[in-house]
Amino acid sequence: MTTITPNAGQTASQASDMLATVSSDEQTLRVLLKPHLSVRQALDTTDLRVRAACGGLGTCGACLIQTVSGEFNPPTLAERQKLLPEDLAAGMRLACQLRPHSHCTLYLEHPAPHSAWKSLDPTQLYHASGNPAISEHFYGVAVDLGTTHIRLSVWNRQSGRRIGTRYSINPQVAHGADVLTRLNAERLDVQDCRRIGQQAREAIMDGIRDILSRDMGEITPVLAALGKVLIVGNTAMLTLICGNSGDSLYQPENWQSPIVCLPTDADAWRQIWRTPHADIDIAQPLAGFIGSDLLADLLATGITEQSQPMLLADFGTNTEIAVWDGTNLWASSVPGGPAFEGVGMRNGLTAEAGAICKVSASGLQTIGDAQARGYCASGFIDAIALLLDKKHLKPSGRFAEPPTEQGFLLQADVPKSAIFASDIDIFQRAKASTAAAMAQLLALAGLKVNELDRLWICGSFGQHLDLNSAFRVGLLPTLPSERISLLANASLAGCEQLLLNPAGPNLLNEIVQRARTINLGGVFEYENRFIDNLRLQPMPIEEFQ
Amino acid sequence: MLDAYIQSYNQAVFETDKPAALDVVNQALSDGFSPEDIVFKLVIPAVELMMTLIEKDPDANLAQHFMTAQIAADVTEKMLEKFSKPPEMIGRVVIGAAYGDLHSLGKRIVSGCLKSLMVDVVDLGTNVSAEKFVDTAMTENAQVIAVSAMMVHTATSEKGSLGVRALLQERGLEQQIKLAVGGAPYRFDPELYIKVGADAWAPDGVTAAKVIVDLIREVKP
Repeated sequence: MTTITPNAGQTASQASDMLATVSSDEQTLRVLLKPHLSVRQALDTTDLRVRAACGGLGTCGACLIQTVSGEFNPPTLAERQKLLPEDLAAGMRLACQLRPHSHCTLYLEHPAPHSAWKSLDPTQLYHASGNPAISEHFYGVAVDLGTTHIRLSVWNRQSGRRIGTRYSINPQVAHGADVLTRLNAERLDVQDCRRIGQQAREAIMDGIRDILSRDMGEITPVLAALGKVLIVGNTAMLTLICGNSGDSLYQPENWQSPIVCLPTDADAWRQIWRTPHADIDIAQPLAGFIGSDLLADLLATGITEQSQPMLLADFGTNTEIAVWDGTNLWASSVPGGPAFEGVGMRNGLTAEAGAICKVSASGLQTIGDAQARGYCASGFIDAIALLLDKKHLKPSGRFAEPPTEQGFLLQADVPKSAIFASDIDIFQRAKASTAAAMAQLLALAGLKVNELDRLWICGSFGQHLDLNSAFRVGLLPTLPSERISLLANASLAGCEQLLLNPAGPNLLNEIVQRARTINLGGVFEYENRFIDNLRLQPMPIEEFQ
Repeated sequence: MLDAYIQSYNQAVFETDKPAALDVVNQALSDGFSPEDIVFKLVIPAVELMMTLIEKDPDANLAQHFMTAQIAADVTEKMLEKFSKPPEMIGRVVIGAAYGDLHSLGKRIVSGCLKSLMVDVVDLGTNVSAEKFVDTAMTENAQVIAVSAMMVHTATSEKGSLGVRALLQERGLEQQIKLAVGGAPYRFDPELYIKVGADAWAPDGVTAAKVIVDLIREVKP
């Protein structure tokens, strides 16, 4: 059974949340603090992390932070042991022990060195019960290897305790190379394939080490006791990390058939990672164009255990879509293009500090309230919805008045709020391919949107998504919001279940048995639907009733 | 007489509003205009106008190309059903995606525009072998073979355009059948069409229709 509570809409801010303004000498962030999280846990999800070398128990004393204003919990025993009375009196605290009781201002003199790794909100991840049968090498790692993001978590498999989670941009994106685009545009040569595969391996270990150093305070002994690493991901990334060339992915006959992804050099891999006992396990993709990340999503959401029809879409560089009719699963994937990851647009960003994540008539909102540096997908979708409402943009995708060379400035004094005709074009095609794929799979399953008991939106894309904007531009079918669930880290949650739940592999196998993979490239009706869905308008309702 | 319709039809096409375009056409029909008049005086000039506009505006949105071509093809198809006698076609083209290439949308735009310009289109779909292109062009008496390729390796493969060229040469068909190519790789390298043995290429689907019509006229003046 799934242990994840469906979450309609995003985790909205609540009255009990406190707003913390946290400064270092380099930057200032505004962070919403949930009552159950310490200041350290909240900052771990941002670009401004405290130094740390324990799991937040107050034992390392590294996470010193200066309180400037606001009311807080009294110093804990750990703080009284680690800090001098005069430091406490001067407002020094340990971030891992600190919980504000009011809005507050904090100063961080010595932040941790900059890192691309951030923690994930564990509330939507897997809850494990532990497995006493595991007597040695009891650490385990779950990895969701995406084209643009890597998410992972380190576990004590015996006790069922999650030691930490991290996510980061996949380094190959930082190198300016979108694997899928490149696989489409040109053959990667063997060296490129090997390099990308190696980079992915290095990135995963880098993330593991970040968790171990910050959340346990020791690395080498834990790596030596690491018994299992389980990786889910899209087929292209899994092929490359296994050390294979991407060649097999070019053959159309492979697109719909299972592709075996097994490490070619497991011993060397373990040696480089210094994890002599780690069983490195790749969750096998469903087909050449449908990765095991979709299977992990299905596992995490538990859709295939339901009797009601449901639709799941995992938005990303490749958007994977599955329709469950109560008995069978219809799965496909379409190019999201980079549009849904915020990469590729002129002012596109992933969901990071400074990304415009929400746009409304009253203004722009950025992640961390930082200076606007561009749009992440949710902000861009809001912007398009607003431009349509204000008639600056037509349903055809044309601007009412052609914008200048600087683009259309959504906010006159924010140059990075500029939107260009080419951005709209990229978005139109991405949303049309997604909307058409949903409609086509529903048609194949003999279902209508109205019959869907639930629509699951997976991937970090959903984190800040405004559903009304998504309806307005025709990206999602208009459904009551209580029938829509957003689950940003579903693939990792599914991977965790596969790592920790002894029944996981069987559940996965059942999903695979029920799945039919559909290559929409060969479906004529799909092309008509694609073209019909290019217009920026709500999805045609007659298709769905 | 048709002027008022031409204006609102062009407006609808420009706005890529298919229902509005069909409304204009239906209104013109119910006002007594013939399907022939609608195609030759309304639809074809609108396609030609779009071609001119797109040539002048290299930034034109690809999504709009798709929708425009789809409107042209849909309206033409609906009108052709109502023609009193089959229209005289200006020629025939065999179109498809190159061997190993499953991208089909690019050629959809081309086909849509060609159909509305009274060109017979034999669509072989995707992943089409060179033999099939040439064999079909021979049996169908086509003047042009159009090969779409969206990936560099399918554009440059021996089994793609180069294979078609080799067969045309081998069978002595080079004067009767011309070879046109299109797709993303050709935009990156405007000389690529020569390297793959094609007679012509076009940077987008709408202009491709024009290039193909020109090739037909070379073979069949």
